Amino acid sequence: MAARVLQQCVRTLARPSLRLSTGSLAVRAAVAPSAFVHRPLSFSADSRRTRWLVPTRIPSVGVLCRQYGDLPPLTLETIKERVMYVLKLYDKINPEKLDTCSHFMKDLGLDSLDQVEIIMAMEDEFGFEIPDAEAEKLMSPEEIVQYIADKKDVYE
Amino acid sequence: MVVSRLPSTALSLKQFLQRQRVLGIYRNMMRTIRKVPDEADRKYLSDWARDEFKRNKNATDKDAIRMMITQANNHLEELQTSMALAGS
Repeated sequence: MAARVLQQCVRTLARPSLRLSTGSLAVRAAVAPSAFVHRPLSFSADSRRTRWLVPTRIPSVGVLCRQYGDLPPLTLETIKERVMYVLKLYDKINPEKLDTCSHFMKDLGLDSLDQVEIIMAMEDEFGFEIPDAEAEKLMSPEEIVQYIADKKDVYE
Repeated sequence: MVVSRLPSTALSLKQFLQRQRVLGIYRNMMRTIRKVPDEADRKYLSDWARDEFKRNKNATDKDAIRMMITQANNHLEELQTSMALAGS
């Protein structure tokens, strides 16, 4: 009895795939009504089969850790590096005089327009907008680093 | 007698507000110019804006400054409309 039930189960599983692979178009057109009846069965079998396959696939997927953002995580060090890099590329700053705590206007001899441009370059680099009220307070590289770290929730 | 603790070169409130407005216009100007697609045009426009601001940096007459702010706003608007037309 049990053997017969098992056999029937195997046959219902095997049949849809057989039907799909061997049944030619003409045959299927001829038995269209019966095909309609059988199709739900084959669908359920298909879905069941895929569901069985999934658990075996999961471990291999789990090994590849997905990264949804393309950027590496920010740390105070990387922020500082990037800020200094942007400042070095800015043509009105002398890279030799540049230091993390140098004041843009007093130490580096820049004017308020340069400061505006620097802040905009930082916006470009870090991809977010700094509001005017805060932008004009940022007067040295370390203040910029601190501000960006605060905004991006980066702590030591 | 009250002795002001502010340095003698400190700006009055009105001057300070005007300064903020000028810097705000400059920032908006640069933001708009940044959207210009062509590299050479972008360079030209930002140099132009910078030179215009630089040229008048020693202006002290507040009416003259107000007129220049209005003029800058007109330029900014013109730039923005032409950008919008080019973008559409």
